[in-house]
Amino acid sequence: MTGPVIEAEGLGKRYGRGRGQAQGQGRGWALRDCSFQLPAGRVCALVGPNGAGKSTLLALAAGLLRPTEGAIRGPGRDRLAYVAQDKPLYPQLTVDETLRMGAELNPGRWDAATARRIVTDGGLDPTTRVRALSGGQRTRVALALALAKRPELLLLDEPMADLDPLARHQLMGALMADAAEHGTSVVMSSHILTELEGACDHLLLVDGGRIRLGGPIDDLLAAHTLLTGPVADLAPHTVVESRTTGRQLTALIRAQGRVDGPWETAEPTLEELLLAHLRSPQAPTLLTEGATA
Amino acid sequence: MSTLLSPTGPRWVVVRQHRTALWTAAAAVAASAALVTALRMWDDAVPGTNQDNGYALLRIGMDYAAMLLLALPLLIGAFVAGPMVARELESGTYKLALTQSVTPRRWLASKLVIAVTVTAVGTLALMGVFALGRSRVANEYLFSWDERGTYEATGTVLLSYCLLAVAVGALVGQLVRRTLVAMAATGVVLGVVQLVLTALRWDFLPVRTLTGPYGADLLVPDEGLYMDSGLISTSGQRLPGWYCPEPLTENGICRSDVDIAAQYIDYHPASHFWPTQLIETGIVLALTALVLAAAFKVLRARHA
Repeated sequence: MTGPVIEAEGLGKRYGRGRGQAQGQGRGWALRDCSFQLPAGRVCALVGPNGAGKSTLLALAAGLLRPTEGAIRGPGRDRLAYVAQDKPLYPQLTVDETLRMGAELNPGRWDAATARRIVTDGGLDPTTRVRALSGGQRTRVALALALAKRPELLLLDEPMADLDPLARHQLMGALMADAAEHGTSVVMSSHILTELEGACDHLLLVDGGRIRLGGPIDDLLAAHTLLTGPVADLAPHTVVESRTTGRQLTALIRAQGRVDGPWETAEPTLEELLLAHLRSPQAPTLLTEGATA
Repeated sequence: MSTLLSPTGPRWVVVRQHRTALWTAAAAVAASAALVTALRMWDDAVPGTNQDNGYALLRIGMDYAAMLLLALPLLIGAFVAGPMVARELESGTYKLALTQSVTPRRWLASKLVIAVTVTAVGTLALMGVFALGRSRVANEYLFSWDERGTYEATGTVLLSYCLLAVAVGALVGQLVRRTLVAMAATGVVLGVVQLVLTALRWDFLPVRTLTGPYGADLLVPDEGLYMDSGLISTSGQRLPGWYCPEPLTENGICRSDVDIAAQYIDYHPASHFWPTQLIETGIVLALTALVLAAAFKVLRARHA
């Protein structure tokens, strides 16, 4: 395994005067004090509520934005591919011309056969103009452009939002197969966890402009324990969230040593883990080994 | 011309994106050439007189042509600012364009190379068409060398304004990021630059002065551009033409007891045409270089 494909150190982005693009935050910091590493070859889910800073983080990784502070290192623009949330394409070009554009703008890297296959698998007529395509068809063309570039790092911002469940399943399958075959590192964002679960082996939780959780999904799940049972002192464990109903306690903790107590313990599901963190903004950040900068 | 006819890389993308506009520009040049040629032929049908309909229409047409050529830089600037630059930023397609293997610098440079090529070829062609039509009406009323429109379109000045327009479009388009607003703002900026330099251009070179005895006719030499005239006292002081106090003599001139020695007239001879053109062109091209440098600086600051 080679080194990290993305490395962020004290990364911050503040949107300038009069251009409050950080959804839900108005002006100010869209992202602040982010330090993490993403090992190469992973498929990473970038999750968080709307306006958390996911799009900003992806745009910074793509080199589209300049950090306000700190730094983010990753492959250069010739070795990464980025599909923005709104799947921007030139509406006046046909599907064929859009692929020709990919070839003209990526000399020496372009894989015409891959592009052609992804487009024809979707039953797209290559002479159709992009403006006449449906949302799902646009997503397919945008992904064809991204994959045919043979990137080392593939950055996808809400890639499947415009797709019906069947097309989502099919396209995600094609995407994962392609990434696995070429060892591509993938980062894809979503605010719908189920869209990504099963496809991803790595997680970054972004919330309020900060990284809350980072690491291999299995490690993150193993680091947490879900407790149910009578109310009792949770020390010395790190409490992410605890709720009591009557004399019943439900808590998500990061165990420090063995969990000894009157509780039933279980490993949380990914959804339980994420929801507990989103409900408890004060819970400390956890970056597991390999994910710390 | 291979830039336009068989472009590769990002230039192919630019040409393909703006194919309709390129064909429209080519059609407009061809149509104007056909129209002027037709009017000349109509004028030829009645030889030896300036009173036929063909001649009248040619004059009207050339009058409009001069005004349209003055607006050409505004049109070019608005197109570069809006459809070429701001629209990419407004619609988000820059996220696609700037994450391909070519650098942002090459992306903007490709747009500018295409814009400059089309601007140069198109402007020179239109200036040729204007010269073709003007050869029939040259130096007649409203078509002398110094006339607005004629002055710009028969020298190097118009071309330099069109190149400035490309640069201003590239800068304003990036700063404003909204297609229509960027187009309007570019038009305003270019309009102001043209108005200011139009107001200043006859101060670039010192005027020639002609003096003559008071009371006789004093006229601007042939093809000269009148700038100012007035009276001169015995001490050599310049006085305005309306200086004489009432009552005047029977001939309508100053009484002999008023201190007037001579009269003067300031003018630019036609030989000032090229020096004035070159000074103005130099100023506009220097501005172009500055604006262009600023446009690339903004690009670098935003997109690394």
